[in-house]
Amino acid sequence: MSGTRGQRMDMVLETDRLGKRYGSTWALRDCSLHLPAGRIAALVGPNGAGKSTLLHLAVGLLKPDAGTVRVFGRSPYGDTEGLADIGFVAQDTPLYRDFTAAELVIAGGKLNRRWDATLARQRLAQLGIPPDKPVGKLSGGQRAQVALALALAKQPRLLLLDEPVASLDPLARREFLQSLMGSVAESGTTVLLSSHLLADLERVCDYLIVLNASQVQLTGAVDDLVSEHRQLVGPRHDGGAVGGVAAVVRASHTDRQSTLLVRTDGPVTDPAWTVREVSLEDVVLAYLADGTTQTSHSEWGVPA
Amino acid sequence: MIWLTWRQHRKQAFYTLLALAALAALLVPIGLAMRHTFSDLGLTDCASQLARADVAQATRETCDAGYRRFGNQYGNLSLVAVLLITLPVLIGLFWGAPLVAREVEQGTHRFVWTQGVGRTRWALVKFGLVSGSVLILATVYGLGMSWWVDPLTKAAHEGRFGMIVFDLQGIVPIGYTLFAVALGVFAGTVWKRMLPAMGITLAGFIGVRAAVELLARRHYQPARTQTFPIEGEGPPEVSRGDWVLAQGVRNPDGTMIAEGGRIQCPSGGKGPEGRVCGAELGLEPGAYNWQLYQPADRFWLFQGIETGVFVALAVLLLYLAIRRVRRIA
Repeated sequence: MSGTRGQRMDMVLETDRLGKRYGSTWALRDCSLHLPAGRIAALVGPNGAGKSTLLHLAVGLLKPDAGTVRVFGRSPYGDTEGLADIGFVAQDTPLYRDFTAAELVIAGGKLNRRWDATLARQRLAQLGIPPDKPVGKLSGGQRAQVALALALAKQPRLLLLDEPVASLDPLARREFLQSLMGSVAESGTTVLLSSHLLADLERVCDYLIVLNASQVQLTGAVDDLVSEHRQLVGPRHDGGAVGGVAAVVRASHTDRQSTLLVRTDGPVTDPAWTVREVSLEDVVLAYLADGTTQTSHSEWGVPA
Repeated sequence: MIWLTWRQHRKQAFYTLLALAALAALLVPIGLAMRHTFSDLGLTDCASQLARADVAQATRETCDAGYRRFGNQYGNLSLVAVLLITLPVLIGLFWGAPLVAREVEQGTHRFVWTQGVGRTRWALVKFGLVSGSVLILATVYGLGMSWWVDPLTKAAHEGRFGMIVFDLQGIVPIGYTLFAVALGVFAGTVWKRMLPAMGITLAGFIGVRAAVELLARRHYQPARTQTFPIEGEGPPEVSRGDWVLAQGVRNPDGTMIAEGGRIQCPSGGKGPEGRVCGAELGLEPGAYNWQLYQPADRFWLFQGIETGVFVALAVLLLYLAIRRVRRIA
C-alpha cells in the first residue's frame, strides 16, 4: 500500500509482501499488514502459523527473505539504534536463570542507553517478586512478570510479546494482562502480542491480525471487524451474489438451508436471509477454517 | 557488557582457577623434586658440556649414565604429560562451546540480542573477553609447563622437539587454547546445542592438531641432512635435541641400504670371519650414516610458526562465528 508520508508516520509496524523461508518451507509468506500507533494488537493463529517468525522479523532477529518489514519506518534487521524503541519478550520468557531479578535489572541498565531501573524495581516490588532469588526458581507467572518489567524499563514505543501467557495458569494470565494494560495505558505504547488462543487476548486487544498457514488471513480494528461481518441464514445458496455482501468467508449447507459468514459492504436487505450479528471469535474461526491445510498423503503412503 | 560477561562466567572462572591451582599444587612439588634430582646427578652442566665438540669421553659417559638414571626415575611422568596436553581442548569444550550454544539452547539470545547493544557488539565483547582471559591462562600454563618439563626434555634424547613435550611448553599452548576456544564458539554457532557443539569441538580439535603435528610441522623449514661415517670411536652424540625426521645407512652411491637404522663400528674393526663393518647388510666400503633432521636451535622458530598457524585459525573461526551470530534467531 503506498500511503502518504502522513499516514506512514502513525504506522508503527508495516510489512509488505514479507516472507521468511526455512530451507524450502515458507514460515511466512506474502505478509502485508499495518499496525497503527497506539493499538493493542492481537496476533492470532494456530501453532506454526508464523507468529513467532513475524515477531522475530519485527525485532530484527531475523532477516527477511522476501519483501520488507519496517518498524517506525526503519528496517529492523541489524539496526541497533532502532532496538531502543522496541521492547521484546520472547516465547517462554527466556531469562538468565541463575540471575536474580535485581541482577537482571542491573544487566538491562548495562545493555541499554535508555533504561528506567526505578520503574522496573517499582513494578517488581508491587508484584511481590523477590529481588534476591534466581529467576529460575520463580514461578512461571513471576518470571513472565520479570520479563515484562525488563521490557517496559526500556520505555519502548512498541512492545512485542510472543505468546506471553501461553504457559501461565488462568489466574496468572489475567494478572499478567491486567498489569500489561495498566502500564501501557498511560504511555501510549503500541503493543503486539501473539497467542494461539483468541480467548486469551479478546478482552484486551482493539486490533487483530490473524495468521494462518504462513499468510495473513485478516487484519483490522476489532470494532470494524465485528461490525462488517454478519451471519446469514437462508435457503440453500447456490453461490450467486447477495446484495450488500462483499465476500462469503465461510459457508455451510444442509439440504435446504445455507449458513454463511459474510463480509458486508452495505446492509443486507434481501428478505430471504436472516441476518445475525457475530462475535469476534466467530469471525476469527471462520477465517482460520478458510486456510487450506496442506495434505501429506504421499509422504504417509496412504491414498488421498 | 563487561559486567554481564563477568556475571555470567564468574562461577566458571572460579572453578577453572581452582582446577589450575590444584594442578599447580600437584605439579610444583614434582617439578621441584625433579630439579633436585637433576642437579644431584650432576646433570646441570651436561647440556653445555655435551654441546662442545671436544667433549671428553669420561664426561660424556657420566652425563649419559646420569640421564639414564634420571630417565628411569622420572620417565613415567611422560604419561602425565600426555594428560596435560588435553588442557587446551578442555578449555575449548567448557569455555568455547557453550558461549553461544548455551544462549541459544536456553533461548536467552532472544533476550540479550534485543536489548540496546546489538548482537555484533555482544559477540565482539564476549569473544574478546573470553579469548583475553584464556590467553592469560594459556600463557601461565605454557610458561609453567616449560619450567616443569625442562629436566625431562633435557634428559630425553629428542629434547624439546619430542612429540608431546613440544606441544606442552613454550608458546604453542596459547595457540592451541585460543584455537580450541574459537572452534568451540564456532561449533556453537553452527550446531546451537551444547553437547553437539562440544563433540564437534573435540573431534575437530583432535583432527586439526593431529594433521598439523604429523603432516605439517616437519615442513615448517627445509630439513637439514647430515652424514657421518659408520666407523668411529665412541657413540656419536650428534643429535641430542635435534628432531630426526628420517635416518638410515646409505652406500657411497646414495642408495638406502638400512632404512631407519644406524651403524657404528670401532675404527678398523672386523666382524667374525674377518668381514668389514656392515658387510653382511650389503654395505660397500665408504658407506655412511645419513639423517634428515630439524636442528635443536629451531625450537623457538617452530614454536612461533605453530602458534601462528593456530592463532590464525582461531581468528578465522571467530570471524566466521560473528558472521553466523548475525543469522541466528
